[in-house]
This record gives sequence, C-alpha cells and structure tokens, in this order.
Amino acid sequence: MQYAATKLGRSVVRERENTRLGKIDLPFAALTLLLLTVGVVMVLSASYARAYYSDATGHNAAYYFLRQLGFAAAGTVIMFALSRLPMGFYRRMSFPALAASLVLLALVPLIGVAEGDARRWIDLGFTTFQPSETAKAAIILYFSALICRRGASMGTLRGLLPFIGVLALVIVLLVLEPHFSAAVIIIAIGGAMLFLGGARLYWFIGVGAAAIAALGAVMLFFPYASGRISTWLDPFANPGGDGYQIVQSLYSIGSGGLFGLGLGRGRQTYMYLPEEHNDFIFAVCCEELGFAGACAILLGFAALIVRGYWLALHMRDRFSFLVTAGITTLLAIQVILNAAVVTNLVPCTGISLPFFSYGGTALLIQLAEMGIVLSASRGIPSWRL
Amino acid sequence: MAQKDGGRGRPGAPNSMMLRRTLFLLSVCGVAAFAVLAARLYYLQIVRHDELEARAIAQQVRETTVSAPRGTIYDRNGAVLAMSAGVDTVYLSPAEIAREGEDAGAIARGLADILGLEYEDVYEKTQNTGSWYEVVARRIEPELAAEVREFKEEGGWSGIKIEADTKRYYPNGSLAAHVIGFTGTDNTGLGGIEAKYDAYLSGSDGAILRSTTAEGTEMLFTSWEDYLDAVPGCDVELTIDAGIQYYIEKHLRQAVADYDIRNGAAAICMEVDTGAILAMASLGSFDLNDYQAVSEADRAVIDAAPESERAELLAAAQQRQWRNKAVSDTYEPGSTFKIITLAMALEEGLVSEDSDFYCSGSVTVPGRSTPVRCWKAGGHGSQDLTAAVQHSCNAAFVSIGRLIGEERFYDYAEAFGFFERTGDSSAQLTGTTGIDLGGESGSIWWSEDVFCNSENLSQLAAASFGQTFNITPIQLITAVSACVNGGELMRPYLVQSITSPTGESEQRGGTALRRVISEETSAKVRAILEQVVGDPDEGTGRNAAVAGYRIGGKTGTSTKTTQEIAGTKEYIVSFIGFAPADDPEIALLVLLDDPGDSGVYVSGGQMAAPVVGKMMADILPYLGYEPEYSETQLGVIDRTVPDVTGLDTAAARSKLAEAGFGCRVLGRGGTVTQQLPAAGSSIAAGSEALLYAGEAAPETAVVPSLAGLSYDAAMEALAAAGLFIASGNTAAADGAQIVSAQSLAPGTAAAAGSVVTVTLYDNDEELLGIY
Repeated sequence: MQYAATKLGRSVVRERENTRLGKIDLPFAALTLLLLTVGVVMVLSASYARAYYSDATGHNAAYYFLRQLGFAAAGTVIMFALSRLPMGFYRRMSFPALAASLVLLALVPLIGVAEGDARRWIDLGFTTFQPSETAKAAIILYFSALICRRGASMGTLRGLLPFIGVLALVIVLLVLEPHFSAAVIIIAIGGAMLFLGGARLYWFIGVGAAAIAALGAVMLFFPYASGRISTWLDPFANPGGDGYQIVQSLYSIGSGGLFGLGLGRGRQTYMYLPEEHNDFIFAVCCEELGFAGACAILLGFAALIVRGYWLALHMRDRFSFLVTAGITTLLAIQVILNAAVVTNLVPCTGISLPFFSYGGTALLIQLAEMGIVLSASRGIPSWRL
Repeated sequence: MAQKDGGRGRPGAPNSMMLRRTLFLLSVCGVAAFAVLAARLYYLQIVRHDELEARAIAQQVRETTVSAPRGTIYDRNGAVLAMSAGVDTVYLSPAEIAREGEDAGAIARGLADILGLEYEDVYEKTQNTGSWYEVVARRIEPELAAEVREFKEEGGWSGIKIEADTKRYYPNGSLAAHVIGFTGTDNTGLGGIEAKYDAYLSGSDGAILRSTTAEGTEMLFTSWEDYLDAVPGCDVELTIDAGIQYYIEKHLRQAVADYDIRNGAAAICMEVDTGAILAMASLGSFDLNDYQAVSEADRAVIDAAPESERAELLAAAQQRQWRNKAVSDTYEPGSTFKIITLAMALEEGLVSEDSDFYCSGSVTVPGRSTPVRCWKAGGHGSQDLTAAVQHSCNAAFVSIGRLIGEERFYDYAEAFGFFERTGDSSAQLTGTTGIDLGGESGSIWWSEDVFCNSENLSQLAAASFGQTFNITPIQLITAVSACVNGGELMRPYLVQSITSPTGESEQRGGTALRRVISEETSAKVRAILEQVVGDPDEGTGRNAAVAGYRIGGKTGTSTKTTQEIAGTKEYIVSFIGFAPADDPEIALLVLLDDPGDSGVYVSGGQMAAPVVGKMMADILPYLGYEPEYSETQLGVIDRTVPDVTGLDTAAARSKLAEAGFGCRVLGRGGTVTQQLPAAGSSIAAGSEALLYAGEAAPETAVVPSLAGLSYDAAMEALAAAGLFIASGNTAAADGAQIVSAQSLAPGTAAAAGSVVTVTLYDNDEELLGIY
C-alpha cells in the first residue's frame, strides 16, 4: 500500500501495466476496418459519375476514390501507431492539443479558405483541413483529464466553470466561421463528457431548457434558420430550390426499396443528388444497397458504438474510461445526426458520416480517435472481456 | 484515504454513477437512436418506395416525343383532301451550348440567316442556358432543314438540334375548308372533320424514353432506353365529292360577287337517299394551309384600325371566316319551308292536286289583329294546289296550315327533325340533325303551349310559310330530302368510312331515322315541285331550270324578324332544288345572306334559283346524267365547237353546221388557217363561228356590258366584239330571260374569241315577286 500515498505513482504503475500486458480490442478494430472498407467502396460508387463528368478531376472516374483510399491507408497506419502509445501520453498531451486546436480555430477566420459565406477550412497545400475536427478530439481529451483531476467538485458550479469557459471559447470561435453544425456537436460532446464526469442532472435539464429557448429565439429572429425549419417540415414545397437537396436525398433513399439498385447502379449519383460522396453518401448507400444494406451499415455502426461503451465500462482507470466513452459518443452523435439529416428526421445541416464521407483529414482524425480507443483497450485484462 | 468513489472499490476507476450513465448513453446512442433510424428507413424505403421511386424516375428519364403520322382525309373518290408529310423542327439546347462553350452569336447568326428570323430573337434563346429545348422554327420544309443540318455539321455545333415532325397539307387550299377543318401547331384538329374525328385521325404519339444525368447527358453504366412505337392515325373517307364541291364553290363565289352578298353564303348538296353530304360550302372562306390569314378586305379594315383594336378585329374576322354557315347559322327559311307544309297536307289527305285555293291578297287568322298579307298585293285569285305552290302563295299556305291544324303541324314539324320535345310543354324547343361535324347550332321553335293554342293561330299561320322560327340550312335540306326521297328522314353525315392503319375499314352513315311521309305523298310532292321549276309560265323557280334535265325545287326569300322589329330590312334569299325530279339523287340548297344593290331584284327566284341552275348544269353531267333536250331547247343549249382548221372552207362550213353553228369566212384563201372560238369551246348553239382563211385573226377584244340584255341581244353584242356567249345550258327556249351577270367584266380586254358565260334570269316581277 505504499504506492497508495501518491496519485501520480499509481497512475505511472498502471500506465506501465498498459504497455506491458495489454492487447488491443480486436472486435473494435475489426468493426472499424470493416466500416472503413465499405465506406471507401461506397465513395467510389457514389463519386464516379461526378468525377467522370467533372473537369476538375480531369474526367477521372476514380479520382475521389483513389484519394480516399490513400487517406484510408494512411489513417489505418496512424490508428495502429496511436494504439501503441500509452494513455499517459494522451493525458499529458490533452492541454497542448486543446491549445493548438484553439489557435487553429482562431486562425481560420484569418487564413481560412472561404466556401460560400463560411470559412471553415485551412489549406494545407495537398489537402484542406477543418480545425473543428481536431477541436472535437481535443475537447474529449482535455475534459477527460480535467474531470480526473477535479473528482468530487464536478457536482458544484465552481467545478464546472473551467469546462464551461473552454466550451464557450470554442463555440464563439466556431460561430465566427460560422460553423453551427460543428458547434452543436461540440456542445453535445462537451455535455456528454460532463454527464459522464458526474455533473448534476438538473444542470442538464436547466441547460436543455435554455437551449430549446435559445433555439426558438434563433428561429424567430434569423430568417436563415426559420427557412431551414420550413424546408425540413415540407421539403416538397420547393423541390427545385431550398428543398432540392433533401428531396433528392429522399428520392435516392426511396428508390432503394428492399435490396437496392445494386452497387454502382445508383441513378441519383448522376449529379441529381448533391454532396453524394460527402455528407449524403448514406443516401447513396440506401439507393444502391436498399433497406437491407442500409440497415447492415447502421448495425455495423451500432455494434462499434456498443463495443466502444462496453470497453469503456471495463476500463480500469477513469481517464481511459472517459476518453473511450467520449470518443464513442462523438462517433455515435456524428453517425446518428448524419443519418437523421439524410432521412430528413432533423433539419438539413452539414454533418459527415464517419468512415464513409469523402474527406481526407476528417478520416485521418476519426481513425486517430479509434487508435486512442484501441490504446485504452490495452488496459483491460483479457479475462475481463 | 477515504474512497468516495465507490463501486468497484479500486481507486481511480470509474465510479458506479459513471457506469450507470455510460449504460444510459449506450442504450440511447447505441440502441434506441438506431432503432428510430431503422424505422425511418423502413418508412422511406419500403412504405414510400413506389412513390419516391416514381418521382426519382420522372426526373431521371427524358422523353422525346415521336409524333404519330396523322391520318389522311379523302373524298368519296379517293382524292386527298388533307395529308401529313414529314418536316423538321429546329430547336436549340442552350445548356449544351453553354457547357460546350459554343459560340452562341455564330449559331444565332447562322440560323437567323438560313431560317429568315431576327438575329436578336434567336440569340435571346441561346442565352436561356438553363433550358434544353428552345424551339427556333417549327415545321420547316426539307430543303431548309438540309441547310440547317449542313450548317450544324460544318460548325460542329452540338447545341443545334433537328427533330422530325409532321405538317398538315391541304392540297386543295380552301376547297371544303369548313368541312375539312384544320390543325393547330400541336397537330390537333381545331375545326371541321379534323376536330370531330381527331381521336381517329391523330393516332397516338410514340416516345423515346432515355435515362439521363441531371445534365441531360447519357448515364455511364446504368443507361436505359425504351421505345414506345407511334401508332399512326386512321384514314377518314368523306362523303364529299371534290368535283361537286368545286362546282358549288365556284358558282357560290360568283354569286357572292355578282349580287354583292354582304353576310356570307352557304350551299349544301345532299344525296337524298342516304343523307350523305356531297358538298358543303360556306363563304367567306379561307385557305386551310394558312388558316389564320383573313381576306384582303378584312385585312384592309384591320390595318386601317387603331393599333389597340387590331387584335380584336383580327380575332373577330377569323371567327367569322371559320364559321360554317351551313350548320352553325340559323335563319328563317321562308317559302322553301312550304315544301314541308305541302308534304304534311298531302300525307294527311287534306289537299289534292284538284283542291282550289282562292287568294284575295290577304287572309285573316284567329289571334292576329291584322290579316296575313300575300306578297302579291292584288292576290293570286283562284288557283289549284300546283299553282299555289308555283306562285308560292302565302294566303293559300295559311289555309293549308289551318287544314292541318296546330297540333298535327307541331307533330309533323318534330317528325321532320326541326325540334325535339322535352316533356315541358311551356319550354321553347330546339333540335339538331346530329351531323358528324362540330359547331351545329340548334333550331329555335315555339313551345307547345304557345304553338298549339287554338285561340291564337298566328304562329301556325307564320310557320305554314316558313317565317318566325329559326332552323339551320342542314336541317332544311335534310327534311326536304325526306320529302322527295320516298319519305325517309335520314341523318346527314360526312364520314363514310374510317380505315385503321392495319387496313380494317369501318363503314358509317346511311342511318334512317324514321319514315315521315309515304312513297305516294313523296311522289306527289316531287311532281308539284317539278312544276315550280319546269313551268316556264307559272313557276317561281323557273330560273333554276337546266335544259335537258328534270329539276324540282322551291324558292325562298325570308326577312329577318329580329331586324324587321329593329326597323332595318335584310333578306336571305335561297333556293332548294333536287334532280332528277322523277327519281332524285341529289338535293341542293343555296342560301345568300343579305344581297346588296346589284340591280337584280332581291328574291330567291331571281338570285338563288339561277345559281342552283348553274350548279345543276355542272353537277348532273358530272354524275353521269345524259341530258334529254326538247326540240326548242336544242336551239339554245351550249355546244362544243369542232376543230375545223386545215379544212377547206366548204368542208369547215358543213362540219360546223352539223355541230349546230353558223360561220363567217374572213379572207380569200381556200383553207381555214385559224378559227374563233378555239376548238373544244362550249358556246351557244346557233352562234356564228369566225373562220380565217389567209387573213389574221385579231388579238384582243373589249368585253361589252351585257346587263339587262336579252339572251339573243347579248349574243349579238358579243359577236360584234368578236366574242362568244354561253349560258351553261340555263337559257330558256322562249328567250324571255335577261342577263344579270357575266363571267368577264365589262370594259376589260379579253383574247379574241373568248367565251363569256352569262347568268340569266327571268325578271317577271309580277309573277316572281319576292317569294
């Protein structure tokens, strides 16, 4: 019991144990790679028509596929590499990661690439990169570390203040871009971390009520938002205008039927469906693979998410638990929101589908997050699973 | 150290609250949310599958229409009246022009030059870059299309498109325009048979269905095509005889010009035994190939009007020229209706050829404050039935109407098809013949309560001589045909057969509606009506007589009651004839609405009867009837001049004498080098031909005015000018007729030896009056 005197000593021992005895969780890794493989194939199926007819790709039908394949390969390497780093490293890196993300977010309005009215991207030369993606991971790591340090004070307002401060800062930076969907996800994941960390339930009830009130106010005072709501409620009212994207998505999904039109045989991908290999790739899955295929993909994601929580439940230290549950929740939020947008369950907004949507840096970051979970999974003795 | 973080008892491990909350997130984010998403997918992909897929396919499939060839319209002898031929429509695909970066200016310039369009208009179309289909020129001729094709290939312009289309051609222009009708820009029938039989003629369009990308190009791997064959339309064969139609329009047009007819004219020729319409004409007419164009007179009026009123005037003029007077206008038939009254009375045995009618000039009628006056002020005196009809005596017909009685008259009028009872005895009634043509108007008849009122017989009295009710020309000729064909009322019809593209033929028409009068009555009516035309002393219809043929008929001159009330007076003069009178094949109605000041007395007998005569003189030989001339007629008929050039003068003289002509030799040569009129000309028998033997014939002659001259005087006046006369066999042997119109206008220069055809009429106002 001599170790018990110091917190640090205990954790060092545990981290040593991690590297010494742990193996990564194979089911979690396998599900990730399976979804990644299906996702990359779907990028080809969804994008070949657009790539073929586009001057920007040099009429190369495999243009998006090959790039996505490259990022997937690199991402897989990164995932396994990160799975070998000890959790203590992530704990140490949590504050620098957050600081770096905040700097990048602050830079976006200054040097970001504009797309429409928004600046969300930083051009890295060979690819573009969304700092909001790293911010999500950084929030999880930093909140996890902070919760471990705070312990019992999570139940008090004072204890919550640093979290709220960080969240507020990130959200202000995102609203400046503006990038509301990322802000919503950051709030959700931040809230989930506090929920797991032990914040009082009535806080969530209060904040939830406030959020609904704020949302109502936004809808009332921002015509942009209220237009989105009316389009959501009746997309067919203006199928050629505001409702175009969601209507095309519904056409794609509805065309699928039970077993779909077959891989590569989708018709909506011929420039009818916008964002067909990005945010709306799930609609293409529905059209080509049908209800059966779409459910299989959802089942894969559900299995990965359940496995992620299952791993979290078996973590032996609080940091690993919080990081694993946080990353799993982030994954769940993205998948559920994306599928809900595509099927018009919620108003249309830009949320990508992890492992499926085309986008290099986002894929790299998602796989890196999986690598962190795999690293944490090494801390679980094999007999416990 | 106290372990607040309970649960598993290990320090630093997640506590039980954390684990509970994780389980909560697992069940929400890992299970419940996915169940909701799966349910949503089930709803969209299974429940709404058909609807959403149909909508998706509707936007993914582009349809190119292949228009079905429209059926041909033939006349009864197989002559083409309307046909479709392949033409091309040129359109632009501005979206492709924009995508391929083609020079819109050059395309617009080239097309405008070839097609004779305004550059700006074409250029404007190229700028509508959201569109895939902007028509530049519809239905252009093959030669122009070839030029466009060449221009397209030279420039390699993919934005110029040419598609096959069909165009309707009417080989005879305005012939039978109102019957045939025309088609609009989308190839659907807009009038006449084209509209009425559109369902048969149009066939069904085919289509090429092709899946395309959102940009209109072909899909890469999933392209799909389907063809729906166009089904050609059926061919329609009309009862119209283009030959008869031509004669009728020729003479009707001449009459409109001769008598300054101001409100149009109509003529119908019906096969009396079947109800088949052999010809139907309404004037003013229009060219089916350019049906929007109005007559020069109308055009002048429109151009003179202020800009703002032109569109309205043009539309009104078009509506007027498209109106088929023969079936769409109602009128008060006047004395032609006396045929019907006569048939009723004979059928009921109320009158016979021996009945005596006394006309004092007027007759009193119960319910009328003033007596009905006969058109002849002094009265016709004592007359038998035939004479009463010959004189068209109103007083006699009022008496005949009284004999028939209002109820019987009403029943007969219905049986003849002038109206249909509805069960409401107080309602004004109407009726149609049911001819297979659009736009037929209904008649206007008194209600039973008004007509069958024994206290007030003024309606019966007026009806007996054809006034104050309104019927259509087609109704009158249908009823009169029943009177002379043996008593069967036929339904008039225009389409005698429809042939499908596969060659199956369906016969139509010849529907007998009911027997109205007996064979014997019909024979009596024919005999009496023949006397109206054939009796040169008493018949009011004598101007319709044609030498060598037996023709029956009845004149009609009607005022318009509505205008009489308004204080103006316009007339409709008409004549209905039938031939041969003993066993009629055809009935012929001519109606001239509102004659102007032509110098000819305004009456059916003086104006319409000669027109029917001239028509009959053409139609009866055309139908194969050989004329049988009396001795006296042989002296005045038209005969054909033989070829005598090259003969010596003596032989030529005897050859001409054999043919019924005299001759005068000019020059001293022994051989005829030139003759006037030319061989083959048809001129009045007894004319003196001019034979030139060595001397040269004059080149031209000035046409003298013949109006008001007798036939013999006119012949002499023409001979003096070196011209010849013909009457179309309408000259009467007694020579009592005078010229009312001539085919070559007075004062104009004509080739020497030309034949002037004159319109003759007997102008005995004392006898012919206005009825």
